[in-house]
Amino acid sequence: MDLVSDLLKTLDQMVNDQFDSVEFKNFLAVPLTLERGRFYVIQNALYTSNRRDCWGYVQGGAPLEVKRVIWQHESDELINDPRAGMDHYALTVKQGEVIGLKPVDFSEAEIPSMVRACFYAWHHIAMHNHWLTAYTASHMLERRNNGKIVKGGGMSYRVGTKFENELGINLKKMISLDVHVVADTEHSENISEMFERYVKSAEDRDLVLKGARDSMAIDRAYRGALGYYMAQIN
Amino acid sequence: MGAANGIEKMWEELVGLCNAQFISAPFKRLLSAKFTQARAQQYSIQMAYYVQNRRDCWGYVQGSAPFEIKKLIWQHEEDELIGQKAQGKVDHITLAVQEGEVFGLSAEAFERTARLEGGEVCFSAWIRLAQRSWLEAIAASAILEMRNSGELIEGGSLSQRIGAMFERDLNIPMKKQINNAEHVVMDVEHAHLLMQVARTYATTDSTRRAILRGAKESLMIDRVYRGHLADVVEALP
Repeated sequence: MDLVSDLLKTLDQMVNDQFDSVEFKNFLAVPLTLERGRFYVIQNALYTSNRRDCWGYVQGGAPLEVKRVIWQHESDELINDPRAGMDHYALTVKQGEVIGLKPVDFSEAEIPSMVRACFYAWHHIAMHNHWLTAYTASHMLERRNNGKIVKGGGMSYRVGTKFENELGINLKKMISLDVHVVADTEHSENISEMFERYVKSAEDRDLVLKGARDSMAIDRAYRGALGYYMAQIN
Repeated sequence: MGAANGIEKMWEELVGLCNAQFISAPFKRLLSAKFTQARAQQYSIQMAYYVQNRRDCWGYVQGSAPFEIKKLIWQHEEDELIGQKAQGKVDHITLAVQEGEVFGLSAEAFERTARLEGGEVCFSAWIRLAQRSWLEAIAASAILEMRNSGELIEGGSLSQRIGAMFERDLNIPMKKQINNAEHVVMDVEHAHLLMQVARTYATTDSTRRAILRGAKESLMIDRVYRGHLADVVEALP
């Protein structure tokens, strides 16, 4: 098997393994109440903002061709996703209406301490590493949301299913989660193509794996933190 | 001082700093050179690297800026990275390579010519500035476009002045200098980005000081960079 095929297989295994981690299991096992659902949706908007920070940093460090791919990627996220008719932050705020949230609930939201630490950790990878490491770190979070790769469905799909089963809110009404089930599949495939172009040596592969490992570790910490905070809400 | 007055005063100071670049020794040295074809070729290639460094820095600035400002920067980068396909305009890197043809340069010449050592150091310094707090970072990048705005610079922006030198020394009319000509127009428009930001975010003395600090440090690097360009131009026949 060639270098890149082998690498992609490893990345696929890593995103599947996330769902077997104690942090992911705990997070997904917390029963949803309306208040917990509200907390999650607000936190998801903050997570989306952090993704925009990181992709900007990754764009800064990447070669020109990769900058262009990221710029296109950010079109859906920052400006307008034709699937939704709005950018992804606005989409998350709009989704909040279904569970009684107002725009001010998002704009005045506090970032809990453990979540803040994770956000800063993702910033650090995105800004202060080789571009392949930084790029992979951001890419892996979309790969982990890609239902074609993750057996049993990506994170957005699983959380959407919890809203449906536990709160009786149809996934189609959770418009941000619903769009991300599709969007992150497309995004992760487009971004993944760059590995074919730029991973030429064992050293390149190791840079990719470092980004994947570090980002997945933060992702586990982040989901663990969300599960912890949600469990505190009665 | 009220915020509105403070912003106007800051703007005047920024415009003054941009104009002062042109009476600094490195700028004077570069702008007093006589261009031969070899000198124009080297200048053109090094400026393509400068444009690439701008893309690095604006990416970092986009990363740290608030959401609404990220959108402005994303739109700014469309002209630079992607081009305006509907208007038949290519991205600015491609434009720089296309402009090279009038100086007798091939696309391969851009690929095989190394960056100036001094340029490399300046590029790293600009990246470091771009990774600072977002107001310093955005000021550091935006000030270079203000310095290239013919609307703000008495006697013409840097692109205008270099373009006029190519016309004088090499008989290449401005309209054939497609990259220079584009920046003469685009940077007038782009120069307003910092004021848009300032109106919302430069509401305190400390935020205005952050903007001025980023702008001043960037202009200092700019002077060093132009000095290195003057060295390389003067060293060629």
